Amino acid sequence: MGESNEDIDQMFSNLLGEMDLLTQSLGVDILPPPESKPPRAEFNYTVGFKDLNESLNALEDQDLDALMADLVADISEAEQRTIQAQKESPQKQPHSASLHVPSFHGTASPGYGANVAATSQFDDDLPPPPADPVLDLPLPPPPPEPISQEEEEAQAKADKIKLALEKLKEAKVKKLVVKIHMNDNSSKSLMVDERQLARDVLDNLFEKTHCDCNVDWCLYEIYPELQIERFFEDHENVVEILSDWTRDTENKLLFLEKEEKYAVFKNPQNFYLDNKGKKENKETNEKMNAKNKESLLEESFCGTSIIVPELEGALYLKEDGKKSWKRRYFLLRASGIYYVPKGKTKTSRDLACFIQFENVNIYYGIQCKMKYKAPTDYCFVLKHPQIQKESQYIKYLCCDDARALSQWVTGIRIAKYGKMLYDNYQRAMARAGLASRWTNLGTVNAVPPAPPSTGVKTGTTQANGQIPQATQSMNTALGEDRRHLETTKDKKPGLGSHDPGAPRAQPPPKSSLLPPPPPVRRSSDVGGGSPGTPPKAKSAAASFPAQPDDLLPPPPPPPPPPPPPLEDDELPPPPPDFNDAPPDFVPPPPPSFAGDLGFSLPPPPPPPPALGPEPARTPPVVVKRPPPPPKRQENPGPPGGGGGEQDFMSDLMKALQKKRGNMS
Amino acid sequence: MAGMKTATGDYIDSSWELRVFIGEEDPEAESLTLRVTGESHIGGVLLKIVEEIKRKQDWSDHAIWWEQKRQWLLQTHWTLDKYGILADARLFFGPQHRPVILRLPNRRALRLRASFSQPLFQAMVAICRLLSIRHPEEMSLLRAPEKEKKKKKEKEPEEEVYDLTKVVLVGGVAPASFRGMPAHFSDSAQTEACYHMLSRPQPPPDPLLLQRLPRPSSLLDKTQLHSRWLDSSRCLMQQGVKAGDTLWLRFKYYSFFDLDPKTDPVRLTQLYEQARWDLLLEEIDCTEEEMMVFAALQYHINKLSQSGEVDEPAGTDAGLDDLDAALSNLEVKLEGSAPTDMLDSLTTIPELKDHLRIFRPRKLTLKGYRQHWVVFKETTLSYYKSQDEAPSEPIQQLNLKGCEVVPDVNVSGQKFCIKLLVPSPEGMSEIYLRCQDEQQYARWMAGCRLASKGRTMADSSYSSEVQAILAFLSLQRTGGGGGGSGNHPQGPDASAEGLNPYGLVAPRFQRKFKAKQLTPRILEAHQNVAQLSLSEAQLRFIQAWQSLPDFGISYVVVRFKGSRKDEILGIANNRLIRIDLSVGDVVKTWRFSNMRQWNVNWDIRQVAIEFDEHINVAFSCVSASCRIVHEYIGGYIFLSTRERARGEELDEDLFLQLTGGHEAF
Repeated sequence: MGESNEDIDQMFSNLLGEMDLLTQSLGVDILPPPESKPPRAEFNYTVGFKDLNESLNALEDQDLDALMADLVADISEAEQRTIQAQKESPQKQPHSASLHVPSFHGTASPGYGANVAATSQFDDDLPPPPADPVLDLPLPPPPPEPISQEEEEAQAKADKIKLALEKLKEAKVKKLVVKIHMNDNSSKSLMVDERQLARDVLDNLFEKTHCDCNVDWCLYEIYPELQIERFFEDHENVVEILSDWTRDTENKLLFLEKEEKYAVFKNPQNFYLDNKGKKENKETNEKMNAKNKESLLEESFCGTSIIVPELEGALYLKEDGKKSWKRRYFLLRASGIYYVPKGKTKTSRDLACFIQFENVNIYYGIQCKMKYKAPTDYCFVLKHPQIQKESQYIKYLCCDDARALSQWVTGIRIAKYGKMLYDNYQRAMARAGLASRWTNLGTVNAVPPAPPSTGVKTGTTQANGQIPQATQSMNTALGEDRRHLETTKDKKPGLGSHDPGAPRAQPPPKSSLLPPPPPVRRSSDVGGGSPGTPPKAKSAAASFPAQPDDLLPPPPPPPPPPPPPLEDDELPPPPPDFNDAPPDFVPPPPPSFAGDLGFSLPPPPPPPPALGPEPARTPPVVVKRPPPPPKRQENPGPPGGGGGEQDFMSDLMKALQKKRGNMS
Repeated sequence: MAGMKTATGDYIDSSWELRVFIGEEDPEAESLTLRVTGESHIGGVLLKIVEEIKRKQDWSDHAIWWEQKRQWLLQTHWTLDKYGILADARLFFGPQHRPVILRLPNRRALRLRASFSQPLFQAMVAICRLLSIRHPEEMSLLRAPEKEKKKKKEKEPEEEVYDLTKVVLVGGVAPASFRGMPAHFSDSAQTEACYHMLSRPQPPPDPLLLQRLPRPSSLLDKTQLHSRWLDSSRCLMQQGVKAGDTLWLRFKYYSFFDLDPKTDPVRLTQLYEQARWDLLLEEIDCTEEEMMVFAALQYHINKLSQSGEVDEPAGTDAGLDDLDAALSNLEVKLEGSAPTDMLDSLTTIPELKDHLRIFRPRKLTLKGYRQHWVVFKETTLSYYKSQDEAPSEPIQQLNLKGCEVVPDVNVSGQKFCIKLLVPSPEGMSEIYLRCQDEQQYARWMAGCRLASKGRTMADSSYSSEVQAILAFLSLQRTGGGGGGSGNHPQGPDASAEGLNPYGLVAPRFQRKFKAKQLTPRILEAHQNVAQLSLSEAQLRFIQAWQSLPDFGISYVVVRFKGSRKDEILGIANNRLIRIDLSVGDVVKTWRFSNMRQWNVNWDIRQVAIEFDEHINVAFSCVSASCRIVHEYIGGYIFLSTRERARGEELDEDLFLQLTGGHEAF
């Protein structure tokens, strides 16, 4: 992998250079928050993580697709902004054209032999691609030649990566592709840009997974080497944290539920009214009613200054560089952790400062008993976020029991983050509340809420076929005029690739044909609506809807379509889903779907956000259309053409279209 | 009423003679004798008195005080019989508002007229209105301690007493604002000066004075203060206060509602002053680290308020604050929206290049400082063997982002070192930079500080940072010496000694540290607060004060029922704390939220409290009257009923209901 990583790095930078040229020639500035730093630097940086490379390179195609959707959404967003800014429709066209990767397809595809080779070739090939869109156009034809599966795969991946890179570059916002591990050992790759807080990323993940959106979900970082871990606070900047990781880090990012995260707000009495563990108190505490909790929280977090829980007790402190632990009496104050020096009392004036919180984060220590001979396994660790290796500057503390650990960790978080924690909690609650309300709504009137929400939701993950039915139904429900049109068009390619999965030869041509202009357009259209709000999540969501409809996600980027088929071959699991999915989807008439939708909805809480944006989005889209319309038509055209080439597909597509027509 | 006399001189109608002294309680006062009957109304008596005096003046504020009963006769339609007044009653006809000297939280003295006839709660409302302090319910008056009076005698002549006795407030109308201060302050230069005294932080006190002032040495001492609170439901006259007496004005209830720098400059400042004095006089304990932060904030606040005076003689303090806030907001916004890198590319990035001596502490190394060619660009520090080798690879390159910068300076020893703790994945690397002189030091130090926050020297705050460092160094040089920047002859507290770090910390730190040890630590803490505006800094100070574990606890010595020894009861805004008198350990905490009811048995001076789940607590009060404890509890309960929605209105009845009570006088 090492080699290929390097290659990819190089490739990236080349790409970047090209993109620079392109954008410059176009004279279009895309994102408002451009970074002044040389793109290359960013890029290297972005790719700096092993994880990233792997995630890009070794990603399952599903992921890549999803990622692409994200990217496309971003881009479309960006495009729209530029458009809005310039209000010159003509500009847009060249721009979009330039963006299209298709050109790469042409050049790169022929050369591919093996994965590695492919990447290296890329580098060589890259220079040409910068060529103007015009050049690209001619190129497409060549690819059709039959290629071996491996080659196809390699190519598809490379294409996706390239496209991803371009999009990244386009946005000019520092972005990371982050691999996030799920509970079930699966993982998702996610674009995270430098403006996103953990909260945004969580929201994004909520949409991609059908979790219940409760407040316990968190991003969790694990340092396998140091055996420490912690959850991100919702207001933390994810890119900032990740950029402290080293290049070859083994650190991982998880998406999971941790009830410790907001335990203090659920049962504040356990932290604020715990009088040194007197039994008497515990009993009364547990009985605390909601009203009292609320007033306790208000008292603690809503005053002129927040109240840090009074906390003191003996803890074990690991001695620097040794595996020995010393027991000391520690006290928590808003200004830091203090200890009582030998022979002194615990009055304020005698206390010695152990550590202040400004420059350290708090982590849970895992299995310190084994690793450091800790007296118990209830350890917490304080270290500067940048420290990644063993160091005397990492402080290990060990509590007697789990209760003390949770009190200390929570207390320190309160001292360090203050009211921010409470604000985070309230946002998280609002989010969870919204989600549950939506599910309720969904069940009541399936149709109205469903369409927008489903589209968004399903789009993201579903593409990968995890929850096929729900998504499909949603999509169908969505089937509104434009959507439909677009989707159907999209589908055609998708379907074709999909069913035909077996016939390998076919897909490639499609990709070549389809890709160029249409996809981008589409993405732009969809995204165009989205710019309104949360750039990332929403736009992504918006772009996705199309996918779900088709089931064959690829709609947005041209290159994606090819991958699915390829993957099918490679990855046994995905294909079944796909296969299953389409059938279900196709046969049932719209109405029936609606019913399904109702049921399926519950999970998709995220919809709400989608709803809001949706209406807003549509208008802009409409406005934009004027210019694109012609292209649209083209879009349909290409798919049709593809169909022609691929016998299998054409039938399917026709059937689909008919159904769509009926529905609408 | 033509009274008829008998031969013995008795009146045969029901009238009798009533003697009324004119003026305040003064046995020598002139007196009048009126002939009245039991049916005479108080109003009629007043009228008669005024007629008898035959002096033209405004008598509207005068009323009759009944000395034996310690009571004002304010119900003019009541008859003498109804009041039960007989011929032997000693009545004084005097003004209801009398001058008193208030010692404010900032330790300044202010003379004003306070109502001697209304319950203190109402009198406080009027006083706070005059001083333009919102939420008078949080404040109250204390008797001045006996001891302090003696000491003051020596100093009293020097002390300036601000006078607001002539200021009249129109009732009912909220004071309008004029020239950045409430209109009633803008009448004359004196009142204006008075407003400045109220709304601006005072310079640090003279360290020597600080050492002389009494400080509590134990928990027991801290209970003394709380025995002196006046009773809110009775008037000053009833509590034996005389015209011209000195009273302390303090925030009594540590529950500050809706603290808003914009509308509350006086309140914020006085609260800050009270907090500051609490800390300086060790009424509340804090750790060394916390003290440094408090000192840095005081230094910063003082600097801002002094510079504000220089620039703005008219004293639009609030306006200044607003401007500051707006500017800093703007700055934040600009920085927030535009990535700093962007700024870097737009403006050329200044860099520092110089020969510095560098020391890297390592295990088993005997090497000391070595001269290197050091280049500081953006947030990165690189050093080379010599200037000639600069184009090649540096010996080491350090990105200072997120690093810790610690000054290691000794001005008199001409030592200007910067200690850097630079984080890296492997841990922290330690490096010392030694500069030749103050100028060089200030430039590099400022650069390091900005870099540690991820900013470059192109940042707008760079030059001000340099200036601040130079200023602090010069302060250190003059520290302890004479004639510093404190050239504001505002009062004895504005010591002529310049800014001495000893004036910023509690005396125990004066003993513990030398000034030159203290200064760098304060400076270090100062770098975190240097960007705050005046009101932000005050607010930060108050917040840090509130975050102290012992904040807001009023101590009283009590004896719990069934216990044989005295213990301390701590009263905070949300709980009662039982504290061991000798050790100071918390024995037990009860929260007000669990409280069902409390009762006072005035006869045996016992307070009984019932909490949820049939927990009953009873204690008798030792150091203070049980009135004071009762009023504290009731007051906190009352304060907890305040809601933002209700605005400024005060439910006085509720307050008196909660805090009042029948006590045998």
